[in-house]
Amino acid sequence: MNPWMHYLLWPCIKFAIAITIVLTVVAGMTWIERRLLGLMQARLGPNRVGPQGLFQIIADPIKLLMKEDIMPSAAEKVVYVLGPMIPLLPAFLVFCLIPFGPPPAFAVTRVNVGLLLIVALTSTSVYGIILGGWASNNKYSLMGGLRSAAQMVSYEVPFGLSIVGVLMLCGSFDLVKIIEYQERHVWNLFPQLVAAFIFFVSMNAESNRTPFDLPEAESELVAGYHTEYSGMKFAFYMLSEYASMLVNSCLMTSLFLGGWTLSVGGYGVTTAALRSMGLLGGVIGAAIFFGKVMTLMLVYVWFRATFPRFRFDQLMDLGWKWMIPLALANIFVTGILILAAGTLKIGADTYWYGELALSIVGAAVLAFTLFLITRGRPAATVAARPTEPPKVIHASRVSEA
Amino acid sequence: MFEYLVFFVFAAMAIIFALVVILHRNPVVGALSLVVSFFSLAVMYVLLEAPFLAALQVIVYAGAIMVLFLFVIMLLNLQHRHEPSTRPVQQFLGYTGAAAFLITIVYYIGKYAVYTMPAGPFHADARSIGLALFQAYVFPFEMVSILLLAAIVGALLLSGRAIGHRTGIGTETTEEPAGKAEVSR
Repeated sequence: MNPWMHYLLWPCIKFAIAITIVLTVVAGMTWIERRLLGLMQARLGPNRVGPQGLFQIIADPIKLLMKEDIMPSAAEKVVYVLGPMIPLLPAFLVFCLIPFGPPPAFAVTRVNVGLLLIVALTSTSVYGIILGGWASNNKYSLMGGLRSAAQMVSYEVPFGLSIVGVLMLCGSFDLVKIIEYQERHVWNLFPQLVAAFIFFVSMNAESNRTPFDLPEAESELVAGYHTEYSGMKFAFYMLSEYASMLVNSCLMTSLFLGGWTLSVGGYGVTTAALRSMGLLGGVIGAAIFFGKVMTLMLVYVWFRATFPRFRFDQLMDLGWKWMIPLALANIFVTGILILAAGTLKIGADTYWYGELALSIVGAAVLAFTLFLITRGRPAATVAARPTEPPKVIHASRVSEA
Repeated sequence: MFEYLVFFVFAAMAIIFALVVILHRNPVVGALSLVVSFFSLAVMYVLLEAPFLAALQVIVYAGAIMVLFLFVIMLLNLQHRHEPSTRPVQQFLGYTGAAAFLITIVYYIGKYAVYTMPAGPFHADARSIGLALFQAYVFPFEMVSILLLAAIVGALLLSGRAIGHRTGIGTETTEEPAGKAEVSR
């Protein structure tokens, strides 16, 4: 192939497809989230623009486009403009790497270190938030950026460690191979229950969603890192938050929920079955994939409606004292069982017992840990904490955008 | 041909941004330039057919270490003032040392540089790196782990001592150290 086409044209086409899908899902998601939050909080949500308020999807971007773009006079100009754009790029790029249907047609880009590349790219999205917060030259923005930096670095560790267990089971960094492993066995959710839990919590923290939205805690920091942003720049931050939600849901689907397949032990809707149906099979696979992704997105909204925000020290405790040791223990136990299976020469037909054992151990450990976490802290630590002024809880929490 | 183009563009970027790190007065700009330089290095690894190393380079350096650097720079809110140098001897020693280091490194790179690609495929995937780390280089690997552990213990000891005496709490988040200190006094 012509190298210019190979290196420039083809990646541009892939990128355009990824942007289109991400923008479509994100636009739909803003409406779904607001209506669903309304439903959960016994109110209506946006229902005036168009049928069921559906045209809100178009009205919001137009409103943001037409708003005046204000830049604080004391801001660091270049970094201030760059800030909102930085987190968008990795979100779109990562989406190109996710196989959302049977390969080769629906796996847009296949890299043999795919998963590592995804982790690498997502880990750079934090720069947008830090730099935006710093460049605004506003103390609330700066606090938001600092919190975000601390939070992202803390939760990146359990995020990465929880993936390791899956990698050990499947033996590949390639997402396609990980999904094909799951269709031959079971969803990784079961043998890697602890890892799935840690991954889900960390991905909530990574995309700054509500139990972990300290960087933009509006009751303390006005609007956190995007206090000084308006118009399209603000929209870019919102967009990157939703894009990172989408990308993380796609990752969780591929790693733990079997991707585009619906099969156990090689029976059911497998890659081979989808391939035999040709293009229709690919579309069905993509539909299954996005069905799982949208379910996870709805769980995000459900989380937002359910959990109150963490305090910053609780956030750090959860990350460093619970998630990281738990993830390390998961790697340890998985390693021992894989080693045992290798030593005992367990064949494919008895491999089930190993996975069953992992599932049961995982469920027990997870239940015990959740009990310990939710039990509350010892009274001594509470007493030693400096007294804080009583928290003001606003009756009307206006949803943003 | 295309590889050469990519190589020269990113090699130039790596060097230019590395120079910006040294020469620019603003620490935040310096840190950001270092990030760009790290990304260019990652591209070099990809060109050498070592995508695993490239991904690790971005995860560890750009994704974690530089975020912490920026965090510390912003937390301390370092101002970029132009201060006249007051220590001519140290300045002289610094320049001499740097020049000596440069000459040494250029000499040894010239001496040991590999001008031909080794025959056969180049293995830099997770398996071969893991095997090399835990078999051939297991002793240096463990030594580095102990060094890092010592650094962590030292940091904990120092910060625990500084805060523990004031508030009676062993651990405290680093958020708002100045403000917290005011309140607890």
